[in-house]
Amino acid sequence: MIGVAPPAHDPAAPESATTLPVAAPATVRAYVRMLLRRHRRAFVLLVAVNAVAVTASMVGPYLLGGMVEDLAASAREVHLGRTLSLFAVALAVQTVFVHMVRLRGSVLGEEILADLREDFLVRSVGLPPGVLERAGTGDLLSRITTDIDRLANAMREAVPQLAIGFVWAALLLGALTVTAPPLALCVLVAVPVLVIGCRWYFRRAPAAYRSEAAGYAAVAASLTETVDAGRTVEAHRLGERRVALSDRRITSWTQWERYTLWLRSVLFPVINVTHSLVFGSVLIIGGVFVLRGWVSVGQLTTGALFAQMLVEPVGLILRWYDELQIAQVSLARLVGVREIGTGGADDGTEPVGREVRADEVRFGYLEGNDVLHDVSLAVRPGSRVALVGPSGAGKSTLGRLLAGIYAPRSGAVTLGGAELARMPAERVRRHVALVNQEHHVFVGSLRDNLLLARTAAEDGELWSALGAVDADGWVRALEAGLDTEVGSGGLALTPAQAQQIALARLVLADPHTLVLDEATSLLDPRAARHLERSLATVLEGRTVVAIAHRLHTAHDADVIAVAEDGRISELGSHDELVAAGGTYAALWRSWHR
Amino acid sequence: MQIRDLPYTDPGRPDTGSGPRLLLWLGRNQLAGQAKAMAWGVVHMAAVAALPVALGIAVQAVVDRSGARLALAGGLMVLLGGLVALGDTMLHRTAVTNWITAAARVQQLLARKTAELGATLTRQVAAGEVVAVSTGDVEKIGWFVEALSRFGSALFTTLAVCVTLVVYQPALGTVIALAVPALVLAVLPLLPPATRRADEQREKAGYATELASDTVAGLRVLRGIGGEELFLDRYRRASQEVRRAAVRSARMWALIAAVQVLLPGLLLIAVVGYGVGLVEDGRVDVGELVTVYGLVTFLLFPLRVFEEIAMAYSFSRPSAARAARVLSLRRTARAGEGEGPAQMPAGDLYDPESGLAAPAGRLTAVVCGDPDAAGRLADRLGGHAAAGAGEAPSALLGGVALDGLPLETARTAVLVQDKDPVLLSGTLAELLDVPASGAVPAEAALAAAQCGDVLTALAQASPDASGDPMRTRITERGRSLSGGQRQRLALARSLVTDPQVLVLDEPTSAVDSHTEARIADGLRALRQGRTTVVFSSSPLLLDRADRVVFVQEGRAVAVGTHRALLRDDPAYRAVVTRETDTGARPAGELDAELTELGESEQIEESA
Repeated sequence: MIGVAPPAHDPAAPESATTLPVAAPATVRAYVRMLLRRHRRAFVLLVAVNAVAVTASMVGPYLLGGMVEDLAASAREVHLGRTLSLFAVALAVQTVFVHMVRLRGSVLGEEILADLREDFLVRSVGLPPGVLERAGTGDLLSRITTDIDRLANAMREAVPQLAIGFVWAALLLGALTVTAPPLALCVLVAVPVLVIGCRWYFRRAPAAYRSEAAGYAAVAASLTETVDAGRTVEAHRLGERRVALSDRRITSWTQWERYTLWLRSVLFPVINVTHSLVFGSVLIIGGVFVLRGWVSVGQLTTGALFAQMLVEPVGLILRWYDELQIAQVSLARLVGVREIGTGGADDGTEPVGREVRADEVRFGYLEGNDVLHDVSLAVRPGSRVALVGPSGAGKSTLGRLLAGIYAPRSGAVTLGGAELARMPAERVRRHVALVNQEHHVFVGSLRDNLLLARTAAEDGELWSALGAVDADGWVRALEAGLDTEVGSGGLALTPAQAQQIALARLVLADPHTLVLDEATSLLDPRAARHLERSLATVLEGRTVVAIAHRLHTAHDADVIAVAEDGRISELGSHDELVAAGGTYAALWRSWHR
Repeated sequence: MQIRDLPYTDPGRPDTGSGPRLLLWLGRNQLAGQAKAMAWGVVHMAAVAALPVALGIAVQAVVDRSGARLALAGGLMVLLGGLVALGDTMLHRTAVTNWITAAARVQQLLARKTAELGATLTRQVAAGEVVAVSTGDVEKIGWFVEALSRFGSALFTTLAVCVTLVVYQPALGTVIALAVPALVLAVLPLLPPATRRADEQREKAGYATELASDTVAGLRVLRGIGGEELFLDRYRRASQEVRRAAVRSARMWALIAAVQVLLPGLLLIAVVGYGVGLVEDGRVDVGELVTVYGLVTFLLFPLRVFEEIAMAYSFSRPSAARAARVLSLRRTARAGEGEGPAQMPAGDLYDPESGLAAPAGRLTAVVCGDPDAAGRLADRLGGHAAAGAGEAPSALLGGVALDGLPLETARTAVLVQDKDPVLLSGTLAELLDVPASGAVPAEAALAAAQCGDVLTALAQASPDASGDPMRTRITERGRSLSGGQRQRLALARSLVTDPQVLVLDEPTSAVDSHTEARIADGLRALRQGRTTVVFSSSPLLLDRADRVVFVQEGRAVAVGTHRALLRDDPAYRAVVTRETDTGARPAGELDAELTELGESEQIEESA
């Protein structure tokens, strides 16, 4: 076997475009420097404690060397008692300090890790809504799960262990140089082998381990999907295909395992040969030195034992070095989120009045591919506007512009004369809220799920909000009431209940303008009807822009805007539009027969 | 078994009686691999153990000023160095091969088991449990399998070293042979609390990760409504708890590390103290003392292996138990487990419990007041019996009970698309590559389900600028698509399958009226001559059905065309139109509506 080529299929290659930026190496380095500065004291303490532990561990070989010296020159008296007490003291010191090294190492690693993950979430929740809408949350999710996990390994073990390993190796080499300078030269014999071997290995290893880990994750992912889609798999008789897919993924993963095993099959002998070279050359060349009278027997013994001890720190460094390289990639993905701007400049304007206007708005998701062309629409405060039209006409996009999530490419969307795109999300949402199908129920208590809309709310306010959306009944029926744990792992709410919670949040947040995007369309007709009553309460007294898939929503609107191909083709009340006999009239008839 | 030969063509039938029995079964299936790893482990450890002998010979040679003996020590060093390198590499290769083959085998077993259980899996066990086996437990089982051979060779080498010491250096050897078991045992009591704390830490970390990913998943809601600080605070608290738990766990491991330094250190002091006396008495050479010192430091190495196996076992036992539990699941005896005739029945579909009948080759719509009941009824039509035995007989196809048929035959005959069909991740081509009759091309199905805008969106996102939507990946559960788009793709998939009987539960609930009307036409045209049942309450769909069955309280109470039912059945009208107060509707309005229906039909016909 000459070697194993890396497999052609790389499971770590991104399957879809990375939607959020990845930090440049320079940014990552600056971030690491910042982290180290923040934890400088803990780091210095770790190195110091470690130095003491390593020094104490060298006392044993040193004393043994002295004794061998004395015993060899059997004439002299051996101070056995004194030597053994010194040995015992050194052992006690070593024990205490090894304990401290392990503990300090963990404390440091855990603090850095906690900083990293909290910092990342702080950045994530500060992202502009437009970025989230466009990029989706998938990329962000994989960063907070997979990348944080990979970093956890590195921070928990690699950083402290590497710090320990380097200090340890340096001290041993230093001690060797001090006790027997000529022997220190023997160590150099092994350096070329180690350097060449490691360069070869580390050039290939990090990418290979990343692919291997991704390959393994893909095996588990296919199983998770089969479990999740059990009904679909059975109905469509996909069982055999799922098994075949799993076998294919196992093949891909094990091919990477085989490749990394080959990499280690090169690295291990390199390390072993290095050790043997160090140990052997110290022993044999050193033996010749003793015979020549350049060093003493005691120095040789001590030196040989030091050389043997080098095995550990070198092994430690090699073991954790590639973990650190893998972590670097993950870190770049985490730090990348910091590079996203916070959107348009905040000019601090406060809206005067409540009128929402779109003036000659053009907008597109892709360069040179506008979805909206010169759309103008004025929404009178307190009025109901329905946006209707076929899929892909730009209704939802217009809704998002009116809710301040996207900034128009040209033209302006204003609220009370102030440009929405120039306001931070925190200010926009005091006035406008977008209500869509996404009624996420957060892991936590029902109370937390409501409080997010008004952090300082009392329980009384929460109950009246629930009452307003007709949800107080079933919440009261729950044994733990507002303290009931919901979300994944807790009580599973029905879609209708989740939607009611979302509506109750709106009551609490109390924005004067709402943009509804298919807010109830995913629900069963029966539940929808029930919810419409809740919704009606919420809408009372507010300006409403409703994107309607079902025309009965449009029927009651003050103004109906028909969107077609990114333009507003018809505008008027229900009766006016039906009388006009255009697109809306045709739609109405097709629905209402 | 070599890694390159994976996956197994047949992963075998595991012994799922208990966790340890599963481990034993895995071990029995790789006896040769374990033996090989153990043999290389002995080569490796014996060579490492022999290094101090070379050291002793060298020191003694120098003391005796013998160049020849020093050369001998050098030769021995070279030989041992080679053996250490060879043994270490081969031990690693063989042991890792053992873990990978075992892990692959368990993953393959899991894949087969989940595919076999299908819809019945989550009824028997939480989905999370199965996923936990695949993501975490397999690795722990693999770890034990890998550590086993290392443990065997460490045990063998340790015994050999102790015996050798006792034989050649009875005085020093006996002390060491007595002390070694004590060293091994001393750390063992510390391991259970350490692993417990590690588990606690993992649990806390899992919770923090869940909080974080949950916050990110709902981030658009948070950014739209507020509450970021609330959730950040909550996450910070969880994160700090993880940190504290990790440090608590580290305290235990630090203690273990300290004990591992202290006890061998004490042994070394004893050996040196006792040994120096022996040297002075002339009973032991200086070189031999150095050898024994070196051997004691060597023994620390197998000691760690002993701890590793103790930990690996304590971690892998619950994992193996969970894996065994999942792998021992069986399909419940009822649903479609029959041994009846394998030939495909044909004819009308009839459910004796509800009295619902769907004539062969026609489009039947079902209106059901209660959505949950609709779901159960749809299930029954596919022969999925409700949970619990001794219930009503299964649905009949052409007079043959569906649950009396082999599962494969029953599912081939009737395809039930439930209310929440899952889009499996993969390219669009892969998504539509399902077992099918072959009569319906993907293009026709996509066109009938009105997927034009989905194709455009996917073409824009195609990975290689080819603009081929069929090669674009659909993310897990179709999260990159809107609800309506997902629904239409799922419908297209069912249409491609082209089963004899297709049962659809609310296939267009997230689709706008305009598109829904076109889907209804497309569906009708494409399913011409095939049996189709649609659960819906949308007038657009109902009006295009050959017949409509109205189900209330689990029984078919009325049958007719949409218009006839609308006219004659107030209860039906209440469910289908959005009027909540049935009686309050003046007859005139209804007449107007019916007139409107007639008009629109005329318009359509003239168009």
